[in-house]
Amino acid sequence: MFELLFKYPAIMFHKGEFVFGRSWPVWLLITLCAAAAAYVAFVAVRARDRAATPPRASASRWLRPLVLGALSWSTLAVLLLMLWQPALSVSSLKPRQNVVAVVVDASRSMSLPGQGTTRIAQARSLLDSNLLAAIQARYPVRIYTAGASATRIEAASAIEPNEPVTRLGDSLAQIAAESATLPIGAIVLLSDGSDNAHGFDRAALSALKQARIPVHTIGFGPESLTTDVEMLTAVAPTRALPGARIPITARIRHAGFDNRQAKLTAVSEGRVLASRQITLPPAGQLAAESLTIAVGKAGAMNVEIKVEPLGGELSPANNAQSVLVQIEDRLPRILYFEGEPRWELKFIRRAAEADRDVELVSLLRTTQNKFYRQGIASPAELVNGFPATSEEIFSYDGLIIGSVEAGAFAPVQLSLIRAFADRRGGGVLFLGGRTSLSDGAWQATEVADILPVTLSSRNNTFSRTPVKAELTQQGALHDLTRLDDSPQANATRWRALPPIADFQESGAPKPAALVLAETVTPGGRRPLLAIQPFGRGRVALLATGGTWKWQMLLDARDQSHETFWKQMLRWLVSESRSRLSARVSESVLNDTAKLRIDAEVFDSNYLPNSEAAVEARITMPGGETSLAALQPDPVRPGHYSAEFKALSAGAYVAQLTARHGDSEFARDELMFRRQDGVAEAFHPEQDRPLLEDLAAQTGGRYWTPESSRDLPKEIEFSEAGLSVRELHDLWDMPAAFLLLIGLKAAEWLLRRRWGAV
Amino acid sequence: MTARTFTAAAVLVSIAAASAFAFQRGGGRGSARVFRDSEGPIVLPSDANDKNEFNFARLRYTNVRASGMWGARGGWAVDYPKADRQFLMGVRRLTRLNTHSIETVVDLNSDEIFNYPWVYVVEPGHWSLSDKEAAKLREYIDRGGFLMTDDFHGTYSWGNFMASLSRAFPDKTVVDIPDDDPIFQVVYDLKQRFQVPGIVNYPFQQSHEYDGFEPRWRAVRDSKGRIVVAICHNMDLGDAWEWADHPEYPEKYASLAYRIGINYILYAMTH
Repeated sequence: MFELLFKYPAIMFHKGEFVFGRSWPVWLLITLCAAAAAYVAFVAVRARDRAATPPRASASRWLRPLVLGALSWSTLAVLLLMLWQPALSVSSLKPRQNVVAVVVDASRSMSLPGQGTTRIAQARSLLDSNLLAAIQARYPVRIYTAGASATRIEAASAIEPNEPVTRLGDSLAQIAAESATLPIGAIVLLSDGSDNAHGFDRAALSALKQARIPVHTIGFGPESLTTDVEMLTAVAPTRALPGARIPITARIRHAGFDNRQAKLTAVSEGRVLASRQITLPPAGQLAAESLTIAVGKAGAMNVEIKVEPLGGELSPANNAQSVLVQIEDRLPRILYFEGEPRWELKFIRRAAEADRDVELVSLLRTTQNKFYRQGIASPAELVNGFPATSEEIFSYDGLIIGSVEAGAFAPVQLSLIRAFADRRGGGVLFLGGRTSLSDGAWQATEVADILPVTLSSRNNTFSRTPVKAELTQQGALHDLTRLDDSPQANATRWRALPPIADFQESGAPKPAALVLAETVTPGGRRPLLAIQPFGRGRVALLATGGTWKWQMLLDARDQSHETFWKQMLRWLVSESRSRLSARVSESVLNDTAKLRIDAEVFDSNYLPNSEAAVEARITMPGGETSLAALQPDPVRPGHYSAEFKALSAGAYVAQLTARHGDSEFARDELMFRRQDGVAEAFHPEQDRPLLEDLAAQTGGRYWTPESSRDLPKEIEFSEAGLSVRELHDLWDMPAAFLLLIGLKAAEWLLRRRWGAV
Repeated sequence: MTARTFTAAAVLVSIAAASAFAFQRGGGRGSARVFRDSEGPIVLPSDANDKNEFNFARLRYTNVRASGMWGARGGWAVDYPKADRQFLMGVRRLTRLNTHSIETVVDLNSDEIFNYPWVYVVEPGHWSLSDKEAAKLREYIDRGGFLMTDDFHGTYSWGNFMASLSRAFPDKTVVDIPDDDPIFQVVYDLKQRFQVPGIVNYPFQQSHEYDGFEPRWRAVRDSKGRIVVAICHNMDLGDAWEWADHPEYPEKYASLAYRIGINYILYAMTH
């Protein structure tokens, strides 16, 4: 119908450019149209004045001449427009002189079900039935498969979906590059658009646009997920201390398994680390589930977290994700300064002794003039009491301040405690006690800024009345307070703990603070354990010195006290870094090579150091090494970075060093891994937005297999290859004549009705 | 031998044995007359109801069944409560430890003992722990408790002490504490130590009782090597604490007794 009225197919109007066949100036057309409008208006006004009938209501007195005048003017304007000979200028391919590239996605995802059969079978069938023949009727055709790259083949029937990865961008850019010697008029891509290992990068798109080759895409596969479970992401800390318990959080989507039970499992080297039942959410909702695992000794630990396949899944291969956890080869040290003998120190020390991967150094004021040191590395350590220099205090990774009044510290020591969290990036824990917090006048010091609560100005906030401790909602989920993997069971276990020996009213939590546990007192619930980040570090407040009761009042085999303190001590030091702190953009590269290495370098005062020479010696999977120099960031002092390409699958280790001249002053180690053939299993549904966008960006069009019968006709309109630009007259299209007749007929009918003729 | 003759002989033997026993203890030379409380009944300190970090817990136990003088003397309440309270005064004065002013009596029949991670037991040469009490003592130690023993002397007492202790710690052996152990250095340097006599030794020409000639500092250690039962054998620290304020009790003994007690408490609170 469209073509009948408008003489040409719609695609010509879409592709073509509107021009005038006459060389007469356009301004003359506009002037004549304006003159016609003036003439019509003049005639209409005069006709109204001559009218013998008495004047009507003012609205119709003006409305009728206006409508009749507009119709007359429109007729004149259309006639004038046709005199200028409007036309479409369309670029079209020369038949038989241009090649059409038919590219078939041969990745593994094409073996997934499409409509009753596999996607690749559907694509082959489409080509064999009529599409290929229709294209070949006008243009020579080259057939390619797309996988890691484009491969030319002779016949579509030979295509098998066994490519482990799809790189559509690279494949199409490769074909576009051939257009330098081959007149490629268009590309027809048959694909599900399913996960593209690189994504469609700008370079590939730019190459296609530069060659002006339209890419027509035909999409296969369902456009939404059907009966499948897919693990979208798995997130774990990239670094952990040996023996740490770390959470792995998985985001899971599914279709067709509403409220079904499934088993979530974490596996490393064939060994099940953790497992539990989960309930999949209702349709359309993502599930966020976590498992807590215990990591082993120093080194790289690859952990696969998976949902055990459910019957009838579209693709069980996408039920798992891998994370790489770098188990650090370091022994963090924590300094615990206690102002008076307390049972808490004994039992914290005992809990720390059970953890060989964290070292606790304690400094206890036993008498008026004596300190008792434990865990020191040398007789000189802490011989003068609490550190008074940055070098000394920054040698620790964590700090615990017990029941000691602020007045016991010199001003420089108070500044160092603040800087310890702020600059050093260490963890600081403040304990409640007889001379702690506001009872120790800490609210008047600069250290009060780093606390997660606003200290009250009252005294006598410390009470030795035993109280129960209960987790908050956040505390039930937090790693620091995790006595059980299940949040509900965790909260229950905390409620079952014996009362703590004492508590302190600390103050209101600050906006950035997270209250993990509260004391349940007759006066209400008060923060017991609160944490907050401060600067590069983290700060915690435990408003009691009486958790030792958990140890003494529970069975000797109960590990609640030990677990809590082990987690607390590890939490304090888990984020502390050396003077060279490095990270990679991705620790697991799925079918991709590019990654970025970033490093932050500090001087001995933990101020940014931009004058270091930083380099990474990277050991490849085959054992060979590569050296990469990290360049300083001109904007961010102390930051360095380098790009790296992991060209083969396997494990990589990067040793980073920071030097001043020949003197190395800091080092760090990074691990990452590349794995191939993984990304293809994800996003099994058709990525129609990607295919549509690709077509729109290159001047092509997205087709479904059903609508693609019109595709051969549209291939003609292309500016690529050997093409010619032609003018197609529009003045003689039937729609124009129908418009003229319609305008005059409407005018005549209205004049009759209104008695104007 | 007639019955009358037999009875007379038995009485003579008993008198002779009792005399020898008394001589062994050093008693019978006026100690009871010299070391007498002259202040009347003990009055509770004004802060006795305060709550503090450290509580001096004294273990109440059942005495071993024995006949004669041995069965008549000894017990958990020896030196109680003056020794405890006077020692606590010293602890308050000499350390930063927030100390309760009076003692607390605990036993192994209830769970109350678990609230007190430091427990003092006197005259354990007379104790007799049932299997249940022994098991509770072991549980107490395994949770983190600390037991200090004092004021038992000689071979016989040691044997009786070990008979009960072994039931609590069948897997452990009692070892001597070396002079360089942290327990002798945590506050005071106590490498040089000597026997602290009880008042029965008045006027202190000798310091031993029975055949306990040498003071022995011994211990049971846990699997980490920490001292969990500190055994002061052949000495009487409790008497030294109790009579430290008495002009007839030598200062050097009282001073050492306080230092040992403070070191043991601070060790228990740090290990």
